Amino acid sequence: MAFNNMANQKNVDPEKVKEKLARLEPQLLALQEELKKTSEKGKRDRLIRKIEDTQGKIKQAKTGERFSRQAKRDLVAYSFIAPNFIGFCVFTLIPIIFAFVLAFAEWDGNNTIKFVALNNFIAAFKNDRFLSSLKNTIIYCIGTVPLTLVCALGLAVILNQKVKCRNFFRTVSFFPYVASLVAVAAVWNMLFSPQKSGPVNMILYNLGVAAKSLPKWSADKDWVMFTVVLFSVWKNMGYYMVIYLAGLQGINAELYEACSLDGANTWQKFLYITWPQLQPTTFFVTIMLTINCFKVYDIVYMLAGGSNGVLNKSAIVLVYHIYEEAFRNWNLGYASAVAMVLFLMVLAVTLIQFRGEKKYAN
Amino acid sequence: MKKRLLGLTLACSMVVMSLAGCSGGSGTETTAASAAETTKAAETTSAAGGTAETTAAPAAEGDTVLKWAVWDIAATVYYQPLIDAFEAANPGVKIEMVDLGSTDYQTVLATELTGSGSDFDIVAVKDVPGYMTLVNKGVLEPLDDYIAKDSVDLAQYGGIADQLNINGNIFELPFIRSFWVLFYNKDVFDNAGVEYPTNDMTFEQYDALARSVTNTTPGEEVYGTHYHTWRSTVQLFGILDGKNTIVDGTYDFLKPYYEMILAQQEDGVCQDYATLKTSSLHYSGAFAQGNVAMLNMGSWFIPTLIEKIKTGEYGPEVANWGLVKYPHAEGVEPGTTLAQITSVAIPTSAPHKDQAWEFVKFVTGAEGAEIVANTGNFPAVTTDAVIEAISSIEGFPQDEASAEALNTVQTYLEMPVHEKSSEIETVLNEAHDNIMTEGSSIDEGIEEMNAGVQAILGQ
Amino acid sequence: MKVQSKSYKFWRVILYVVLIALAVLMLIPFAWMLSASLKLDKDVFIFPIKWIPENPRWQNYIDIWTKIPMAKFVMNTAKLTVIVTCLQLLTSSFAAYAFAKLDFKHKNLLFMAYISTIAMPWQVYMVPQFIMMRGMGMNDTHMAIICLQAFSAFGVFMMRQFYQGIPDELCEAARIDGMSEYKIYSKIMLPLSKPALSTLTIFTFVATWNDFLGPMIYLKTEAKKTLQIGLRMFISQYSSEYGLIMAASVLSLIPVLIVFLSLQKYFVEGIAATGVKG
Repeated sequence: MAFNNMANQKNVDPEKVKEKLARLEPQLLALQEELKKTSEKGKRDRLIRKIEDTQGKIKQAKTGERFSRQAKRDLVAYSFIAPNFIGFCVFTLIPIIFAFVLAFAEWDGNNTIKFVALNNFIAAFKNDRFLSSLKNTIIYCIGTVPLTLVCALGLAVILNQKVKCRNFFRTVSFFPYVASLVAVAAVWNMLFSPQKSGPVNMILYNLGVAAKSLPKWSADKDWVMFTVVLFSVWKNMGYYMVIYLAGLQGINAELYEACSLDGANTWQKFLYITWPQLQPTTFFVTIMLTINCFKVYDIVYMLAGGSNGVLNKSAIVLVYHIYEEAFRNWNLGYASAVAMVLFLMVLAVTLIQFRGEKKYAN
Repeated sequence: MKKRLLGLTLACSMVVMSLAGCSGGSGTETTAASAAETTKAAETTSAAGGTAETTAAPAAEGDTVLKWAVWDIAATVYYQPLIDAFEAANPGVKIEMVDLGSTDYQTVLATELTGSGSDFDIVAVKDVPGYMTLVNKGVLEPLDDYIAKDSVDLAQYGGIADQLNINGNIFELPFIRSFWVLFYNKDVFDNAGVEYPTNDMTFEQYDALARSVTNTTPGEEVYGTHYHTWRSTVQLFGILDGKNTIVDGTYDFLKPYYEMILAQQEDGVCQDYATLKTSSLHYSGAFAQGNVAMLNMGSWFIPTLIEKIKTGEYGPEVANWGLVKYPHAEGVEPGTTLAQITSVAIPTSAPHKDQAWEFVKFVTGAEGAEIVANTGNFPAVTTDAVIEAISSIEGFPQDEASAEALNTVQTYLEMPVHEKSSEIETVLNEAHDNIMTEGSSIDEGIEEMNAGVQAILGQ
Repeated sequence: MKVQSKSYKFWRVILYVVLIALAVLMLIPFAWMLSASLKLDKDVFIFPIKWIPENPRWQNYIDIWTKIPMAKFVMNTAKLTVIVTCLQLLTSSFAAYAFAKLDFKHKNLLFMAYISTIAMPWQVYMVPQFIMMRGMGMNDTHMAIICLQAFSAFGVFMMRQFYQGIPDELCEAARIDGMSEYKIYSKIMLPLSKPALSTLTIFTFVATWNDFLGPMIYLKTEAKKTLQIGLRMFISQYSSEYGLIMAASVLSLIPVLIVFLSLQKYFVEGIAATGVKG
């Protein structure tokens, strides 16, 4: 491998080695002295890392390798990341950074960019449509994330057992996710038709709900978010089920055997083996689910947009607001600012979950 | 495993490299290369039996190729005849169409014109809010100097050109104009034993007529009239008297119309708005069922209706249809209606502006109008010859009233040119939706419009 | 023991009832698509719905091939999807290995950079991205779509999570044996991550196959357009031919289902005969 060859080239000048050692060794001693004196934990950790670093450098000088072991490890790691990262940087990261800058500017794509400091953010928090979209998005997330998670996990656990026609059921669960959104939305709006003769309303009517107070579902400003949440759980649980299925394959079967020997029942097995073992998967699913919920827009648009494709305050979500501001009104700066708000919220949620994951790992 | 993976990697990287090779060229080379490619595409289309005949002849050496941004090449019958006639009259200039799709046309077009790298010479503009967006972005060339130079008569557009004027400049010229009429199904009226609608109806007469043909017996419902879910189908009744516009900021004049239509909805005279909204039923589908007596809709529906009846997609239940002028308020001349226009404009970044103007002038002028009319569509310039051409198309209703209905006396733009038109549109749509789903009362809805639009205007 | 097996049987029955009910609920959209694909445009959205059309219109399935250059669109989409999926699998699993199993400078920083970009809705940076790509001469090329789709942070994140589930001891042992990191990746990690790779394949495949807005903005020449744009070509300004759209949608589902079914077998590997019961 190219990296190894390069790294192993010997440095042939013994004079320089001596020079380096003469400089490094006293440094190391001084650091070790300091370490003995300090008792504060954070500081000690930092010192220990420095000592290790210097030791590495001394070793590198002695053996004459061009790169220290740490540098070599870094290089190998970077070589793994590079193919993806370069593409990602050029095509995603740079435009995103540009969008960040835009959040503090006024721009319509053609005229010159004008910096306006925080005005975009102030305008956003004064805008009714922004506030409604923020509220709806949060409601949507709170409703969708736990429900989808539970359904997906339940489905995955069931379909990971030996049941007849397992492949059929798995494929079928994935169906609403891949079927065309037009079809899925049409079916849903048909089931939840606002008429008295709609299937769901028919059931409610027979249960004794008065004809006048039957909900109009996605055409009803009080019920529209509820309808959207249900729809989204139904459409997406197959997707997250697939992730969970893949995660379940990674669990060591011996664990279950050992547990069975101890006389654990099904529920205990789930609680003490499946659930803990699925932690990395759950972490991933929760983050992706949260992010996707914050980014929802096509579902709401298809269900509640109607024929003019405009979402009302009762159903508007953040990304739709971004879309209308960016492409209907061409306020690219304002749209970026709203995206920043979205981004900060997602970042906060992600960081909290990361902390949770680390805690769990310890 | 490893070998297979290696093979895969190699294959992939080869594909990627060859692709990179292709793309390097096509981006930088000029129009000639892409013209040739479009021709190829056209050939594939016709080989596959497609209806679209795009660029007919390949651009010869030395020809100027103008790029025209449009939508729905395959479904639109007038593009190619316009181009053919223009190319015949202007040797050395070729027009090449670029289809940006119908659904997101304005978004894609505006994105394309963002920055300064676009090479479109002419762009079709779908509607007034789209026009406003492009003008606000400053990407359209003002046409006033050209108009003055060639002394184009703006009066031929029947007052619409004045409505396109923004701060003393005009940036587009219309070539297609649709206006609202009342379609009706003669068989439904015959069955109910009721007289047909006429070219001179007030709203009271219209309402009474709709009620008289309605049948609410379950299983054999007949709806007296039909309103598509658009805001325009209700709100635009209110501006026909010319006293109010939709961008004024006060909307109390809409109240009687909402009262009329909500009462109709309540009594089963028209279909329920909430159901129509959630079921995505298209007005053409509703009318084609044969149980809708009247439909207020744009004249763009005429060619579609003729075509679908001819191909047998719409059965005998609607084959016997007619049209009359839009109903009107007391004291307003019949033939007053609303219009929607499709225009052409020249982007500031256009490489060949002078030739582009020649094309714009041709398409929007009298010659272009005749070509459009011969395809069954309404050009922006309406002359007697144009009306004659359309009403003599096979499949157009034979009665005199229907031909007469095509004469308009005064047309207002559905959405007038206004700097904030898209923001206003949003507020009005939302209030309309709330009123029609009975989420808020008429008064609350109107109050919502007044407050919302005044806030926008006050900014 | 007998009592237990009786209650076991009872739960089994309940389980199947629930599964079948779910399956029906999941299949309704597909039934609707099939039924709509055999209807005339005007009958598609009529309520209450007629599940079996009186005169099934098989013509729709012929028309979609002739009204637009469907074959060409399918070819384009297939080409894009295969290239994007291959690139995505390779580069993501490669990068994810470093994030999961190697220790290096700025690891957390780089990883956060990845994840946080997932949170950015595409609509926000679409315009700057478009201007940039057009500057690079990629407007109206397939290369643009490949570059947009192939290097997603999602793939890296997902693969990293799965690699983390594989015990570190395996890698440590291999390192002691003198294996290079590249070898560990190809000999140990890849074979172990088949379920994850299959998942990523399915997701990338579905995403690229169904992507609409990207091709819409970047591809203008008819010969380069994709299936999803082709579907929208049946929606024109004044009418939308839903019968044709649904016929094409039904056909476009087939490749997705084939990929899903053929990769399913990897979801059963690794779990021994005992499995999770009940």
